[in-house]
Amino acid sequence: MVIEIIDILPKVSATNVEYTYSNSTLALKDVNLSIMKGELVAIMGKNGAGKTTLIRTFNGLIKPSKGNVLIDGKNTSSQTIAELSKKVGIIFQNPMHQLFSNTIEEEIKFSLKNLDLSEEEIQTRTDNILKNFNLEKYRKRSPLSLSGGETKKLAIATIFCRNPDILVFDEPTLGQDAREIVFFTNLIKEEMDKGKTIVIVTHNIEFAMQHVPRTILMADGGIIADGPTRSVLNKEFLADKTSLILPQITQFNRALQEIGIQCPPNINSRNEMIMFLKKHLKSMGIKTKEEA
Amino acid sequence: MSLEFLEAFKFLKKDTFLHNLDPRSKLLFSIIISISALLFDEIVPLFLILLNLIPIIASGRLIKKWLKSVRGLTFLFIIIIILNTFFYDFSHAISMILRITIMVSAFSIFFLTVDPNDLALSLISMRVPYEYAFSFSLAFRFVPTIAREAQNIQDAQQSRGYEMQTSGIINQIKNLFPLLVPLIICSIKRAFNVAEALESRAFGSQKERTFLYTIKFSIKDWIFTIYLLLFLMLAIYVSFNFSLMPEWLMWSLPV
Repeated sequence: MVIEIIDILPKVSATNVEYTYSNSTLALKDVNLSIMKGELVAIMGKNGAGKTTLIRTFNGLIKPSKGNVLIDGKNTSSQTIAELSKKVGIIFQNPMHQLFSNTIEEEIKFSLKNLDLSEEEIQTRTDNILKNFNLEKYRKRSPLSLSGGETKKLAIATIFCRNPDILVFDEPTLGQDAREIVFFTNLIKEEMDKGKTIVIVTHNIEFAMQHVPRTILMADGGIIADGPTRSVLNKEFLADKTSLILPQITQFNRALQEIGIQCPPNINSRNEMIMFLKKHLKSMGIKTKEEA
Repeated sequence: MSLEFLEAFKFLKKDTFLHNLDPRSKLLFSIIISISALLFDEIVPLFLILLNLIPIIASGRLIKKWLKSVRGLTFLFIIIIILNTFFYDFSHAISMILRITIMVSAFSIFFLTVDPNDLALSLISMRVPYEYAFSFSLAFRFVPTIAREAQNIQDAQQSRGYEMQTSGIINQIKNLFPLLVPLIICSIKRAFNVAEALESRAFGSQKERTFLYTIKFSIKDWIFTIYLLLFLMLAIYVSFNFSLMPEWLMWSLPV
């Protein structure tokens, strides 16, 4: 019974949240949101919109000046950061901000030692995470000797090994090459299959369009749109307000309309666009290479 | 140790008597106050020096920031109390805490009220070569960045369950490593990046420079400087003739 109630409760919920920094900057104003178990959500908006401030309220790094943030139905203001970090794992933008150990293995163990686990359990979890992240061969190397992409991977591993229910990423694709983004995407998929709740703060519109079903748009500390990614990111006035560029597929769609090709506005993916173009060319009597 | 004390070194632009003083007179202020603090080992004169700072801090509307910076030094105070009580006595420990508070306050007033650009100009006017003056002002300008970075590091470590406030001095010292190591590494990396960026913009190619703004010693700077020199003379006189001073000045705690 208890399990059922927990599943109905939102994993993360914020009601009328406000936060003012010590220099009187109002960083969050009247933020209301609810994220259910197993959801994958992107938070987007221009720099200074309040995205990072918002995610910092999830594990109690920031306690709201007004309103409440609840994790699994419990108010964050009545819990310590250490307690909350067992449930919410935040992976920060700059991995260099957390690496200090002599070896990569010790870096992982540092995260686990804060969990009251037995020595055997710590070793097992360390071995598993190093294997899953292809970092096993670097086990005894200094974290500072890794490349940019591998450092980011290690920073993610230091949070994943703690196995929190809610994973929050701050700009995970920033400075990552294509292969690293694919690795990250697969990682997200695996965690989604395990029923994890994932929140991603990103400026990468194409990544959100392709992989994230729900997007929350922020501007000036407040939420200005919350809904399916495709409909949120295709609205030009919202894109203007948040300094986002419309997704390439939407831009292409508009370009086709400008030259007189009536492309349905609900085309949102590469495959849908290819299908439409094939149909259009066929109607004009032009055969594609594969048809010929 | 809380990283809040770094807040005390962030320049904040305000229009107050203290902010409008010439950087050189403020540098003199920090040096004279620090020398005065070093002249005494007794609680009462040190307390009087600290008391003398309060109206100056208030004139710059900096009381809140100052209190925050002093609160951030709690961990250092604990170490001072333990070591000094162990090797000397508790009274000496309190004197040392007052001395540290005075010196930190004096320099925090300087950093809080001097614009980094004015600092470089004042050093140049004191015949410090431009390269050194620029490096010093650059280091000064990075204080807020380092403070912000320190906060980010603390947040990142806390997100992996790291607890800062654990009991025991040894644990507290050990606890600093996850913060200090990334902070030092990031600072060194940034220093290299800045050096490369400067060199790629031909830094140092012109030996003779002209400046858009210049700084000038005004009447209030002269008045403030005279006050400081009188204060230093008084402190030296009292210190050298301490045995002749009233007894209440030599008061110490009975423990």
